[in-house]
Amino acid sequence: MTTLTPGSQELAPPEIQDTPLNWIKKNLFSPWYNALITLILLGLFVYVAYNFGFWAATDAKWDVIPRNLKLFIVGRYPNEQLWRLWLLLALTCGLAGLSWGVIARKAAKLFSKEILIGIGVAAFVCLLIPTAFPNRLLLLGMVGLIVAGAWVGKQLGQAQPGLGKWVSLGWSLLFVMSLWLIGGSGGLEAVSTNEWQGLLLTVFTAAISIVLCFPIGVIFALGRQSTLPVVRWLSIAYIELVRGVPLITILFMGQVLIPLFLPEGMRPDRVIRAVVGLTLFSSAYLAENVRGGLQSIPRGQAEASRALGLSTPLTLILIVMPQALKAVIPAIVGQFISLFQDTTLLAIVGLVELLGISNSILANPQFLGRFMEVYLFDAALFWIFCYTMSVASKRLEKKLNV
Amino acid sequence: MTSQQPIVQDSVNGSSDPAAEMIVAQDVHKWYTSNKFHVLRGVSLTVRRGEVVVIMGPSGSGKSTFIRTFNALEEYQKGKILVDGIELSHDLKHIDAIRREVGMVFQQFNLFPHLTVLQNVTLAPIWVRRKKKQEVEALAMQLLEKVGILEQAKKYPGQLSGGQQQRVAIARALAMQPKIMLFDEPTSALDPEMVREVLDTMRSLADDGMTMVCVTHEVGFAREVADRVVLMADGLLVEEATPEAFFSNPKEERTQQFLSQIL
Repeated sequence: MTTLTPGSQELAPPEIQDTPLNWIKKNLFSPWYNALITLILLGLFVYVAYNFGFWAATDAKWDVIPRNLKLFIVGRYPNEQLWRLWLLLALTCGLAGLSWGVIARKAAKLFSKEILIGIGVAAFVCLLIPTAFPNRLLLLGMVGLIVAGAWVGKQLGQAQPGLGKWVSLGWSLLFVMSLWLIGGSGGLEAVSTNEWQGLLLTVFTAAISIVLCFPIGVIFALGRQSTLPVVRWLSIAYIELVRGVPLITILFMGQVLIPLFLPEGMRPDRVIRAVVGLTLFSSAYLAENVRGGLQSIPRGQAEASRALGLSTPLTLILIVMPQALKAVIPAIVGQFISLFQDTTLLAIVGLVELLGISNSILANPQFLGRFMEVYLFDAALFWIFCYTMSVASKRLEKKLNV
Repeated sequence: MTSQQPIVQDSVNGSSDPAAEMIVAQDVHKWYTSNKFHVLRGVSLTVRRGEVVVIMGPSGSGKSTFIRTFNALEEYQKGKILVDGIELSHDLKHIDAIRREVGMVFQQFNLFPHLTVLQNVTLAPIWVRRKKKQEVEALAMQLLEKVGILEQAKKYPGQLSGGQQQRVAIARALAMQPKIMLFDEPTSALDPEMVREVLDTMRSLADDGMTMVCVTHEVGFAREVADRVVLMADGLLVEEATPEAFFSNPKEERTQQFLSQIL
């Protein structure tokens, strides 16, 4: 393969001279009708951008954001208990950094140029956030925690190859701890779920639903493939029933109908009902995504595994599932992103998550009519979270595609 | 592929009766449930310890289906199959016990693409035989050396050529230290220049005394290595003979017709 037959010459690929100017000429301005389209679109874009920029710089009254920042983020969560949320954020950042370091332990360089720029931007943004100065320092500290965690994670990961298990255990512990830290009781002052609001409630409901809907979805996907007729029919019935109903009706059922059936003391908490609704809904969709992955694995894989003497459960866990899940990571993450966005529907059934608190801020006579400012801010927050998930999923795919 | 050490374990080989019947199939019938097609129409075959039996036949004759009944990858509806003295029944315990003792190599390799070569080979001994990882890895490295792909141990199957993948598949089956090896057209999906390396591996396995049943179209391999060659056609076992008799002096007209097509 490396030897060349005598006489033949090694030819380099022809070099293509493509300066930006040439590229623009070639792709945007030839022939004449492309030039016309380019000019029209460019004009439209400049017009919209100029108007928006003008509005944002002069007419918009952005003070609605800094003055209500606490409400946007945590709602009416008691001020004297806010340290618990800071602690939770710190733990999450530290563990996230640690996991990143452990996962990337084999990479030549942990902090590449792009990542360093990203860290710099994040730190800069943290310092610019219009909140009390100590809070800005705390936020900066969070970025520092992620970076430090990553560094420690890489060192530990190299020294101790089996660290992955402990990191997963750490996340499970953090999950339980977050319930305790947010909700209180057991040594901490209890904070009623009525006071969990704003972005806190959005992230909380989304995170718990994501964590719970994943195993449930996998179970229904397997159930639908089962050879036992009863299991299969029940799974199909569940999936098709839930997929045939809009999410909002499920949430209404949880918030409005359950109180009609159950007496006061026996009703589950409103937030729990919301989380259950979201989980049941998205697990049906997730089940279909996972089923797609299961069907994409050739039959020979399971046959080879069974021929080696592996039992059916082991074949599923060791051979089929890892491949099936890997194949549907993009679809699953898409599902998670839309679940995150679906939490806004909770505002309609009376839970005060980010959109809900935005609406109540807009109802304050002081801030009447500031829809644009507030909703743009909401959109930016949502974008940050969804884009983070998207980037993380791309990295995961890349890492798994050996 | 020089073999200093036999791959086949002594405990498997020498201990008991050398002429013991490893596989006994009696009047095996199979119908496909979907279209009631009668794919096996009463096939009987006996394979003794250390024998190499090659099954030939036109495509659609049921030869793959037949050897896949030996480790219960295919069910059969009538007849009787004994593997190493254990009757194949619907009892899952029996099936799992038999599968531990019967290695299989597939036409499409069926390596696990998400695991490295070494992990492919060590997976079953660790999870099924419950052996220690270090012990299994030592055995796996020995087997990979034997089949000539030691230096690829840390690679993934997708990074290997077809011939290398098939040799990994053989090592993977051998890692369970089976008493019988089944080969289902092991060279049919390979490029011509890779067929040889796989056949060499199989040949050295046969030299070590492994009991083997091979579905293959490789006449050279059948002539050289097989103790018996069997022709299957239309779900029936047409002729069973020594390679010498099978290729030079076939009795049945169906065999003559088949050989005239492939030789």
